Amino acid sequence: MSLRPGVGGWLQGKTVRKGGGLSTSNTRSSTPQGVQSTSSTIFGGGVKDASGRTSEYFVRRRHSMDDQCPVCKSDRYLNPKLRLLVSSCYHKMCESCIDRLFTLGPAPCPICSKILRKLAFTPQTFEDLSVEKEVAVRRRIAKEFNKRRDDFPDLRAYNDYLEEVEDITFNLINEVDMPQTEARIAAYRAENAALIELNIQREEAYAQTLREQEDAEKRDREQRATQLRREEEEEREEREKDKREIIDKLETSDKNAAKLIAKSRANALKRTSARVASTTTVVHSNARLLRTRAAKDIPDVPHVPFKDNYYGYEDLYQLRPAGYEDFFSEAVRKDREGIMRAGGYRIEEAWDRALRDAVADLDLPPLMGLAPKTTSTMDSSGDVIMAEA
Amino acid sequence: MSPAVINEAPPSEKKLSLYEASTQCRNWRYSTERLAQIRATLNEAAVTIIRTKIETDEPGSSRNVSFLTPNEEVLLVKLYISKIGQLCGYFRFPEEVEATAITYMKRFYLQNTVMDWHPKNVMLTALFLATKTTNNPISLEQYTTHIPKTTPNDVLDLEFLIAQSLGFEFAVWHAHRALWGIWLDIQNLPDGAALASAEYDAALARVRASRLTDAELIYTPSQIALAAFSLVAPDSAARWITLKNLSESATLLAVLDEIKSMIAHQGLPPDVESVREVDRRLKLCKNPEKVVGSKAYLARKKEEERIAEEKRTKKAELQKAAVNDEQDPFGTNLAPKKGLVDYDDDDDDD
Repeated sequence: MSLRPGVGGWLQGKTVRKGGGLSTSNTRSSTPQGVQSTSSTIFGGGVKDASGRTSEYFVRRRHSMDDQCPVCKSDRYLNPKLRLLVSSCYHKMCESCIDRLFTLGPAPCPICSKILRKLAFTPQTFEDLSVEKEVAVRRRIAKEFNKRRDDFPDLRAYNDYLEEVEDITFNLINEVDMPQTEARIAAYRAENAALIELNIQREEAYAQTLREQEDAEKRDREQRATQLRREEEEEREEREKDKREIIDKLETSDKNAAKLIAKSRANALKRTSARVASTTTVVHSNARLLRTRAAKDIPDVPHVPFKDNYYGYEDLYQLRPAGYEDFFSEAVRKDREGIMRAGGYRIEEAWDRALRDAVADLDLPPLMGLAPKTTSTMDSSGDVIMAEA
Repeated sequence: MSPAVINEAPPSEKKLSLYEASTQCRNWRYSTERLAQIRATLNEAAVTIIRTKIETDEPGSSRNVSFLTPNEEVLLVKLYISKIGQLCGYFRFPEEVEATAITYMKRFYLQNTVMDWHPKNVMLTALFLATKTTNNPISLEQYTTHIPKTTPNDVLDLEFLIAQSLGFEFAVWHAHRALWGIWLDIQNLPDGAALASAEYDAALARVRASRLTDAELIYTPSQIALAAFSLVAPDSAARWITLKNLSESATLLAVLDEIKSMIAHQGLPPDVESVREVDRRLKLCKNPEKVVGSKAYLARKKEEERIAEEKRTKKAELQKAAVNDEQDPFGTNLAPKKGLVDYDDDDDDD
């Protein structure tokens, strides 16, 4: 790395020295140009995300010409190093404007006249500034309104609380009744100071355990990897040794060559199987651990089958266990590859249905007379049809 | 379910058997008298309506028209029911499709009359609907290209009407399945050997003949199947009835006799010549609103168009009002581009 300072520096995100071995086509690179800042101040410490999954929003190169500072109207054509930052009142301006306006201390925002400080400017994460604002507000709210379901006597109270939180968040985002809302937040803070603190601690403890768990797993993985490597190494050495031994023996002894080789092969096989057995125990113990965890969390509710009140003529027929002579289903029954039964078709079910149909209400007397049936809904639907026809 | 489950049921509450719970039993089971009454009422109502239509069309002309009687309607429907079998043979549809389509036809004409909807079209749609409800689908194009003088629209136009007339009750209990069950269960007789497939085919032919009758609207499918079976193999049928402990059942024996005579007397396709006569008369007494080109048809079309036009203008007015609320349908003018530099456009596409 140190042998090639220009390229290494670029890869690490440091300032590229002019003429440092890079072609001119890279001067308008599409990587965030915060690193080439014209300002001497480092704003906001970059995007606030520890996981590193979000990055600063940067207008893609195709659109970069439309990027324009709303204050000085200079754009990327005039200033290729243009970088727009967001104020605490969610207005964009370029770094040179910020330097020009706020170096001498707090000054009003040129757009909305709110008093701003230089250090309160942050890089942009989202294209839409309203999203940026919402995320910031929600982050702030979540820090204080951190009650959990366990802190409430019932679900209803918890839901009411959640609704209130959402209410406050909405007000803050849309700047509705700001003084009242701030007062509400302050009142809440005063009321629940102890609980907030407690929940923060809980949160931290939880994050801590998660981190520890992750670390432990990582260590475990590394350990296993090294062990595997070591085993492979050993195995290879053993194989070498065996080979050498066989050659030695073949040289010195006068026994049957084929027998000697077979013997050493058997030895090698024994060793491998022993090693496989030892590794499988490890895997097994891991699986058992997982299983105990699952068993602890989910209670096993016994299945209660649905019971209807229908009579299916079960006493009137009996399916012959030996099956039937049936030329209908011959194709299905003689289908050795099971192509016809692929969808789960079972000839026994077809037989069962046929037998059931054969005995279904055999002695039901036919209806007599003109009396319309009490259960019938047909007359009404018949009327509907006739009216339309 | 096992018999043990039956014993668990409270004795006071009688279990509903599966057939009695079906829509077929609840909504599509009639007495002979009731069937005749329904047909007579439908016929009468249709004749009254059509007569007034014809009168308004051409006063005094209805005197010469001889309307169809309920029996003639049934005859016409029966002819087209027998056509369903031929069509199914052509398309190689399974028995179930054929039986279902026939049931749909019969049920449809208990809600509507032949004078409103000609059975030829209803038959095609009923069959197409049956292929879908019994899970033997065929594409509409394939279906209509093989039937002369039929377009996809002929089939689809009636589909909803038929489904609605059926009350969307598409499940049908069929006699041929019950026959299969009986034929299987015969093997359970003490000295039971499987019957030859020729006997089964003969019994199936009787079941098919029963489809031309009203049997399925009056009796249960198992009764029809047993009657068909006992026509072919009376001894086996009698022994099977004894096996089922029903030899004492007077109702069953009476019902079987009725069905047998029904199959024997009404189970033949109607004489084409007599039906042709009926069809010729139907042309004259059809509901004029449904005859393309007639005055009533044109009047109805006009009325429909007027309503549709009304709807369209209403919609257009609503849209207009909505547009007027905002000033410009395309939004306000875009703000002129501000900025020191506007010659950078040519540099955009690098």
